Amino acid sequence: MKAGEPEEFIVDGRRLDGRRVDELRPLKIEAGVLKRADGSAYVEWGGNKVLAACYGPKEIHPRHEANPKRAVLRTYYSMAPFSVYERKRPGPDRRSMEISKVTRQALESVVFTHLYPMTAIDVFIEILQAQAGTRCAGITAASVALADAGIPMRDLVPACAAGKVGGHIVLDLFDIEDNYGEADLPVAIVPRTGEVCLMQMDGNLTQEEFEQAFELAIKGCMQVYEKQKEALKKVYEKRSEE
Amino acid sequence: MSTRRFVIPGEEVASGRVKLGEGVYREGDRVYAAVLGLLDTSRGVVRVVSLAGRYYPKVGDFVIGTVTGTIYETAWSVDIASPYTAILNSSDFHREVDPFRTPLMKVMKPGTAIYAYVREVAPTKGVYLTMKQRGCRILRGGRLIEISPAKVPRVIGRKRSMLGMLARETGCRILVGQNGIIWVSCKSMGMADLVERAVRKIEAEAHTSGLTDRIKEMIVRERERV
Repeated sequence: MKAGEPEEFIVDGRRLDGRRVDELRPLKIEAGVLKRADGSAYVEWGGNKVLAACYGPKEIHPRHEANPKRAVLRTYYSMAPFSVYERKRPGPDRRSMEISKVTRQALESVVFTHLYPMTAIDVFIEILQAQAGTRCAGITAASVALADAGIPMRDLVPACAAGKVGGHIVLDLFDIEDNYGEADLPVAIVPRTGEVCLMQMDGNLTQEEFEQAFELAIKGCMQVYEKQKEALKKVYEKRSEE
Repeated sequence: MSTRRFVIPGEEVASGRVKLGEGVYREGDRVYAAVLGLLDTSRGVVRVVSLAGRYYPKVGDFVIGTVTGTIYETAWSVDIASPYTAILNSSDFHREVDPFRTPLMKVMKPGTAIYAYVREVAPTKGVYLTMKQRGCRILRGGRLIEISPAKVPRVIGRKRSMLGMLARETGCRILVGQNGIIWVSCKSMGMADLVERAVRKIEAEAHTSGLTDRIKEMIVRERERV
């Protein structure tokens, strides 16, 4: 057993932070929080604090990256130096480049890029505070920011992880469960069609466990989706009152 | 107008055989919203009027742009607040210029504001302007106000009611580009400030009814102090 590892992950049906196995951390989404960006969103998901901003469609620089058939979606995932316990060296690293890439691919599956050839759509995801599951929080925030910017898209993209800790399949792992658990399975979906646009797995699951975790993650995504819709409706109501 | 429903991308807005306007897409037999906005099903066309987003150039629009430089000494490049830079060829200028005798930079320097007409949008997304249309000219003096292109129809108003009222009540000259750039030229700075405040108010309350009357009230109330 590693240092700091809890002996039991689930006691009397409750997890270490008091949640049931199929319960999300408290989730708060707010859209349109930044004035300068074309679209933005702020997500607080348990101990995760994520800010996403979006610019575009705009002229692409450098020019040779332009695609004459569609807009180029560029995503930048970045963690603030103060987002984790030990100061993180700022700037892109292997992990953030990977997450930028999977985020881009997840969002590309819904954005109507063919409507804006020769342009770029930039999405910036800034992790202000991390408590596991930041890529899901990032995708969730980014798709709300895109919608807030008025960019045409098929649907929003909610994301949520499921995993295995102490032999139990649980929804939405937080940092202790993520660090000492057995598996983590982040999933992003297109809710209307049920398409999966992001799925990664860290750790091992049997086929049955995988199926169970996948189903749980989808259920989580649908809850996140409701919050995303609420956030966008609220922006409109807020603007109506002003 | 108040009956228009607010929709979110992916929300089903119609089904079956309907005509599609902007901001929607079809998948199978159903029609869904593609952008955040207000659903409009009048005149037998389903469309979603976007609440945000940049200007997408359309042939036939009058726009206000800012000259950013020249291209090959024979054309100007013009920023029209859209994803695509526009080109104004010297032959499309509203009076004769010979780019080989007079450098174009001497005719219009970068930063010059113009009122121009979108002549062509090429499949490669080259946007070509012309100033050989009624009303096109260089805009000297005044100030530019930038708003969301989605709010332009509201600033103009039905049969230009809002725009006419603004100009009448303030005595300012106002031009509105379809790209969301507004040019205001007033006798005093204070009056221009007032027009800008009014425009911002229109932008913020674009979806409410009785707006023209409220804006008029505001102007009548505040112009005494200018």
